[in-house]
Amino acid sequence: MKLLVCIKQVPDLESRFKPDAAGVWYNETDLAFRMNEYDEYAVEQAVQLREKLGEGTELTVLSIGPDRVVEAIKKALAMGCDNAVHIQDTAVSAKDPWQIASIISTYVQGKNFDLIFTGMQSQDRGSAQVGVTVAEQLGFACTTTIVGFDYADGTVTAKRELEGGIKGVVKLKTPALVTCQLGLNVPRYPTLPNIMKAKRKEITAIPVADLLTADLLATTTSFHPPAKKGGGIVLEGDVGELVDKVIAILKDKTAVLR
Amino acid sequence: MNFELSQDHKVLQSAVRDFVEKEIKPIAMKIDEEHMIPDALVTKMGEMGFLGSYLPEEYGGAGLDMLSYAIVVEEVSKACGSSGVLISAHTSLCSGPIYTFGTEAQKKKWLPALNTGETIGCFLLTEPDAGSDAGGTATTYTREGDEFVINGSKTFITNGGYLGTGVLLASYDRSLKHKGISAFIVDLKSPGVTILKNENKMGIRGSYTTAFAFDNLRVPVENLLGQEGKGFNVAMDTLNGGRIGIASQALGIAEGAFERALAYSKERKQFGQAISEFQAIQFKLADMFTSIETSKLLTYRAACLKDAKKNYTMESAMCKMHASETATFVTKEAIQIHGGYGFIVDYEVERMYRDAKITEIYEGTNEVQRVVISKLLLS
Repeated sequence: MKLLVCIKQVPDLESRFKPDAAGVWYNETDLAFRMNEYDEYAVEQAVQLREKLGEGTELTVLSIGPDRVVEAIKKALAMGCDNAVHIQDTAVSAKDPWQIASIISTYVQGKNFDLIFTGMQSQDRGSAQVGVTVAEQLGFACTTTIVGFDYADGTVTAKRELEGGIKGVVKLKTPALVTCQLGLNVPRYPTLPNIMKAKRKEITAIPVADLLTADLLATTTSFHPPAKKGGGIVLEGDVGELVDKVIAILKDKTAVLR
Repeated sequence: MNFELSQDHKVLQSAVRDFVEKEIKPIAMKIDEEHMIPDALVTKMGEMGFLGSYLPEEYGGAGLDMLSYAIVVEEVSKACGSSGVLISAHTSLCSGPIYTFGTEAQKKKWLPALNTGETIGCFLLTEPDAGSDAGGTATTYTREGDEFVINGSKTFITNGGYLGTGVLLASYDRSLKHKGISAFIVDLKSPGVTILKNENKMGIRGSYTTAFAFDNLRVPVENLLGQEGKGFNVAMDTLNGGRIGIASQALGIAEGAFERALAYSKERKQFGQAISEFQAIQFKLADMFTSIETSKLLTYRAACLKDAKKNYTMESAMCKMHASETATFVTKEAIQIHGGYGFIVDYEVERMYRDAKITEIYEGTNEVQRVVISKLLLS
């Protein structure tokens, strides 16, 4: 069985983001990068399945981006992936979800992957489109935002999270793609011995030009922080007056006192 | 010259950081209060490979390098100086000399359990009357058939309370001074080993600091580590490497205190502005950070020299001396920046201040480091 997990490296979300020179994405200078959180759930689930199926199963991790994404790839290898594909692209942020999905699909075609794991969305772009688009392009069965996973005899049983805490269960025949949500599992820490073993695992580098065939469909035209809001309202007066004012505001602006 | 960590080291740093953030930081205050690192944490650190980072894979280690080890101790010590020294003393002072001086049979016998943390290692050199002056060792041994018989006492033994594996220094003939000393691998669960006490300390309270008495401790002859009469060399070489561990611990403590001081200075408002707006605080932050970065460069350099199998005696003395003095300076200033709150236990910088002091003392006092450095300069 052949498994693929697609990961993205994203900036630490606690960073202070500034627009880049063109004003269409963030400036990467001084940002610390790490594996997208939802992709960690995807890697963990893929590794758990890899361990369950044992010999004869191969798990590949794939990431698109500049050289720095190799750090995220190495983490995935240290978590238990068997080998890696680094699609080298220094202009990945200028590509839309359609192009990213097309690059992955072009890579996957003809390689007989049975099951693909992705995060449900990236923490920076947040489009949540790449996973489902890959499935569509490849003609794979697909389900999203999974919080439970099982696999047996060519069938994936995925638990999904619906609105209001309600859960649903979906069964899919392979080949299939699932996008992973918070709550699916607790990603393991890469241990030091596994970090060492990961150094010996193969990372295949492919220039993005070899896989890029699709045109951009959606262009990001602006990246900017929200407009600064005015400061809070400062109420003055004696306590009785203040209470009346607060009640009036709560009735007017919120639903708590209807 | 390239001052960037490699991608592999960055992966390691980030993995250790995530572990520390979730598994150690939340309990660091409890470790200090209860004078105890929970066994569960020791087990987890063993599973993570923190206790065998640079030992080869064939002996159950992770097979990484000294720089990786320094990063592990540094990151752990940012949250908890006690856990940092557990790793440092265990690895540098016990597994280290067994790997460097041990026979193949000794390495196969002792290292796997140490590297996974199944047993915790310690180094039994210091005695009530022999610390910086290792030649004054008064614990003695005699040979009886296929055994050595050890009598005497040891004090201030980091990790001693675990009663795991120890590298012990004892003298055949005290009049020979350092030439009479030999090193042994000992199982501290053996008959003849008594814990006199675990010390109650100012800092690194979660770490055991143990006093032992040895009354006819019988050690098989195959446990002699290195050549008989060459124990002093074992001790000196071990301390050289150990200094990189202590420098890393001190560096981590300083960084942990600095992170808190920097964040607090931006939050705390006085006279209508954050105190970080005052030049008096800004200058403190600048001095603290510069000292930390200097310590980091010295420490990483000493580790890289050891990895490259080059001489690193002077560099390990310098990094230990500088990083430990940075730790006491930075933690003191971190309290000052916190003002009265810095004196309150909940803000944790007071613990870091207490934890920092010992780094100027153990694994060779800073006075001894200055002797080492100046001797090499003038030789």
